[in-house]
Amino acid sequence: MIPHDLEPRRALIGEYVLGLLDEPQASEVRDLIESDREAARMTLEWERHLLDLTDQLSPQAPSPVLWERIQQTLGWSANAVAVTPKGFVRWWQSLGLWRLTSGALALLVLLSWLPGVMKPEAPGPSYTAVLQQPGESAQPGWVVTIDGDGALRLKSLVDDQIPEDRSVQFWTLIDPQDGPRSLGLIEPGQETMLSAEQIGAVQAGQLFELTLEPTGGSPLDRPTGPVLYIGRAVLIASN
Amino acid sequence: MEDSNFDYEGTLEACARGDQAAFKRLYQQEAGQLLGLAITLLGRRDQAEDCVHDALVKVWSNAHRFDRTLGQGRAWIYSILRYRALNQLRGRGRLVQTDDSFIEQMADDSPQAEQHASDQSDGRQLRHCLGQLERPRRHPILLAFYRGLTHEQIASRLTTPLGTIKGRIRAGLRALQECLQA
Repeated sequence: MIPHDLEPRRALIGEYVLGLLDEPQASEVRDLIESDREAARMTLEWERHLLDLTDQLSPQAPSPVLWERIQQTLGWSANAVAVTPKGFVRWWQSLGLWRLTSGALALLVLLSWLPGVMKPEAPGPSYTAVLQQPGESAQPGWVVTIDGDGALRLKSLVDDQIPEDRSVQFWTLIDPQDGPRSLGLIEPGQETMLSAEQIGAVQAGQLFELTLEPTGGSPLDRPTGPVLYIGRAVLIASN
Repeated sequence: MEDSNFDYEGTLEACARGDQAAFKRLYQQEAGQLLGLAITLLGRRDQAEDCVHDALVKVWSNAHRFDRTLGQGRAWIYSILRYRALNQLRGRGRLVQTDDSFIEQMADDSPQAEQHASDQSDGRQLRHCLGQLERPRRHPILLAFYRGLTHEQIASRLTTPLGTIKGRIRAGLRALQECLQA
């Protein structure tokens, strides 16, 4: 039974939007939304309000093949590139080639196999940060290096066992007022590379940390779990 | 995060005309946030990526059905994602073990966060209104939104009788809409 009065009807649609209604009530509300513009409007109104909760979550970078998969499903085969091996995808991303137009891209793909072609003429400063367990100063756990091109490499010096239902997330903090920024999930024991685009400009004293989060990463735009390793960037060459 | 400069409605209308570049812009703009929500709902990244894939394919193929006189484009996109994710959850039957501490954290939300939410001028004040609910009404709504739990699942998660949970959610939604309309 769908209430006739506006307010109970709006609340019922709210329950529907949250996915709380069982059949046959859910079908009744669905039919109403399909046929009644006012009900459709109420539905989108609830959805709009709920975006406020969605935006409390931090965005998660999709795997590089997701866009390819979508294109393949849509049959846009002219653009669709065959799924590439993981290593190639990482290299591809790290060069930031996606910014180039396809003509220049084809040329650069050839040229970039030659050493040094992709390097800018005047490299910027490079940094390193040694990440240690909070309160520990004797044992480095991970090392971050940012080379003159601005690319970041995160390397593990320890062999940590992470519980199966947890993920390790990499964060950086420049200004405490802006809060930490997620740099994505990392695989313990594996080296991670991030491009200059992904990492942004680095400055001396910038904080890097690894935290233990629920599977898939922190649901918020900040760490929710304990800090595993933490350290600050130190300038090693200013060129 | 919503980008107020991004024209979601215009982009969906361009998709309806078959503009693939517009769809790619939409992907670049929103895929990360869609995935964030899908991971929170489904608890697994692989299934969440499947969900975002299915939802975005639906967005493209149903873009002609979007009508800006009915509501915002971004809300429309997320309605498709949530519907898809909830179907996936219901089809799965069993619950994935999740760490709900961030929901607890939000259920106890600080007045500062509520204040921040109410400072936003564009009428997006759900968090502010949620903050005005008592915790027993707020918590089940957050569990329904972030975990896609049913009444029964919420009742068992909070060890509260089913009828009480149904009543609290209904009363909570009534209070919310009153606050949101104010």
